[in-house]
Amino acid sequence: MLSLDHVSVIFNQGTPNEVRALQDLSLFVDAGEFITVIGSNGAGKSTLFNVISGAVEPKAGHIELDGRDITHWPEYRRSHDIGRVFQDPRLGTCPGLTIRENLSLAAIHGRRAGFRRDVKADEEAWFIEQLARQQLGLERRLDADVALLSGGQRQAITLAMATLVKPKLLLLDEHTAALDPNAAEQVIMLTQQLAEAHDLCVVMITHSMQQACDLGDRVIMMNRGRIVFEIAGEERKNLKPADLIDRFHSLQDGTELSDAQLLS
Amino acid sequence: MAAATSSVDSQTGSGLSSNLRFLLRGLIVAAVVAFIMSLGNVNIGAIGQGLAYGLAGVTVYLTFRVLGFVDLTVDGAFPIGAATCAVLIVGGQSPEVAILAAFVTGALTGLATALIDIIFKIEGLLASIIVITGAYTVTLHIMGGKSNVPLLGEETLISRYSRDFRSWLVEQFGDQMRRQSTNLLEIILFGAIVIFVLVILYWFLRSEIGLAIRATGKNPQMVRATGLNHNLMIALGLMAANGLAGVSGALVAQQFGFADVSLGFGLIVRGLAAVIIGEVLLRPRSVGQFLVAATAGMLIFDISRAWIFSALDLPTTDIQFVSALVVLTALGAPTLYGRWKSYQQRHSN
Repeated sequence: MLSLDHVSVIFNQGTPNEVRALQDLSLFVDAGEFITVIGSNGAGKSTLFNVISGAVEPKAGHIELDGRDITHWPEYRRSHDIGRVFQDPRLGTCPGLTIRENLSLAAIHGRRAGFRRDVKADEEAWFIEQLARQQLGLERRLDADVALLSGGQRQAITLAMATLVKPKLLLLDEHTAALDPNAAEQVIMLTQQLAEAHDLCVVMITHSMQQACDLGDRVIMMNRGRIVFEIAGEERKNLKPADLIDRFHSLQDGTELSDAQLLS
Repeated sequence: MAAATSSVDSQTGSGLSSNLRFLLRGLIVAAVVAFIMSLGNVNIGAIGQGLAYGLAGVTVYLTFRVLGFVDLTVDGAFPIGAATCAVLIVGGQSPEVAILAAFVTGALTGLATALIDIIFKIEGLLASIIVITGAYTVTLHIMGGKSNVPLLGEETLISRYSRDFRSWLVEQFGDQMRRQSTNLLEIILFGAIVIFVLVILYWFLRSEIGLAIRATGKNPQMVRATGLNHNLMIALGLMAANGLAGVSGALVAQQFGFADVSLGFGLIVRGLAAVIIGEVLLRPRSVGQFLVAATAGMLIFDISRAWIFSALDLPTTDIQFVSALVVLTALGAPTLYGRWKSYQQRHSN
């Protein structure tokens, strides 16, 4: 489905500020798989997403989606197959436009924008159904300006819009981190429902070990631009947050140690 | 719950009550403006002129507010539109064709700014200054190397109907209307054209492409994530906006009876003032209301300038300085008002 083949991303190459954000990273995601990604700040999680979605071009390596080499496709061309939800709820919806207008925009996805105005009836019905299931009452406020909604409401709308056109791959970049616990729980439930209902391929970055253990089929831990471990299968099923935190810490100690060794 | 929902809807400007309130506010403002006009003995010619310039106010609304693009191209697109229109009319084309052509040349001017911004990554402000500078020469070339093309004795929209309209007016309302007949005709013709253009623009801004253009100014990331090329949307937006400036130039040329290379001078400042005057006085909430507000803002600007002129009995040489003062008032007043408010609040407790 999605494969990253020895991908490297380097920022500020050749300057003292050189950052190797991704180092020779390879990753394969199967159709219908749900992967959670954990790692400390600066581990390269967001860069991984940027390189998959096309916001950042890799220095080396290849990216394939569904058998097609998309390494050098511009971001807007990939977006038909790749949906993305950001941590900042403001990024996924457009203020100044109503909920319905945001929906129309999302529904353009993957085809040319035209002069038609109304959302297709079946698309709107589907969308209203999604919103109604969230029980936030948003389906009755389709003509409200998105700028008036809370972060959780906007994230819920973003999620429904991201799946409106049935992407092959859904990238969730800490999409509950900016929400209060209640809204976060709602959005996580919605995420699970959507992933199961549409058999989506999902990659989710999270800082919550609980989420990493509860959701998905595989956990990936990143550090310094590499994947340092993966937990799948039997081990993943019995995984508890405490285990993850232990491994997280042991890894951190390890790297600090090697830093000290390098410097001495 | 139902009450809460409806109050939110009215804030978004989608509800009927929002449009009603906007209309009411507009009527009050119109009444006040009319009162000032009659008090200051302002000629109704200022209304026709304000309508002719009104679309240039919409240009500035589209670039600054909708696209979030600091664009001064209107200063170049406007005289290019005026020149295109005048040259075509002198060449024997009908005024309607000339206005359409002015839209096209104005839109091409906007495209030039967009391309400079997209290809060379030069910011809008600088890109549009480059375009204005070049546009000066283009305008001169369109006018065959002359800095002025007179329309005296040519068939413009106004001269086409003026004789019939005048005799009809005199017949209906008596001889005292003779003096105002051209002014009234301008108000009717330009009013109809402006309404026609605004209706088309409103429809365009609510289409899918229009939605994408509006989203580009607010959230380009989302536009890209939707699979749309946001650079294309910037280009389309600038073309539509500056096409309107071209149409505005064509109307003004027909009203003045000539096109001049210096016609666009300082227009961007007037356009900004129009947008802000419209926003402050009419408090628009939806796209349609914003379009009306920008046009009305230009109208109010031209009338208040004419009023200051007649009240202070100023010579025409002072026109740009008065413009600058009116603009400064329009831009500065909201800030001063806000400061005064917070000063009051601090000292009340």
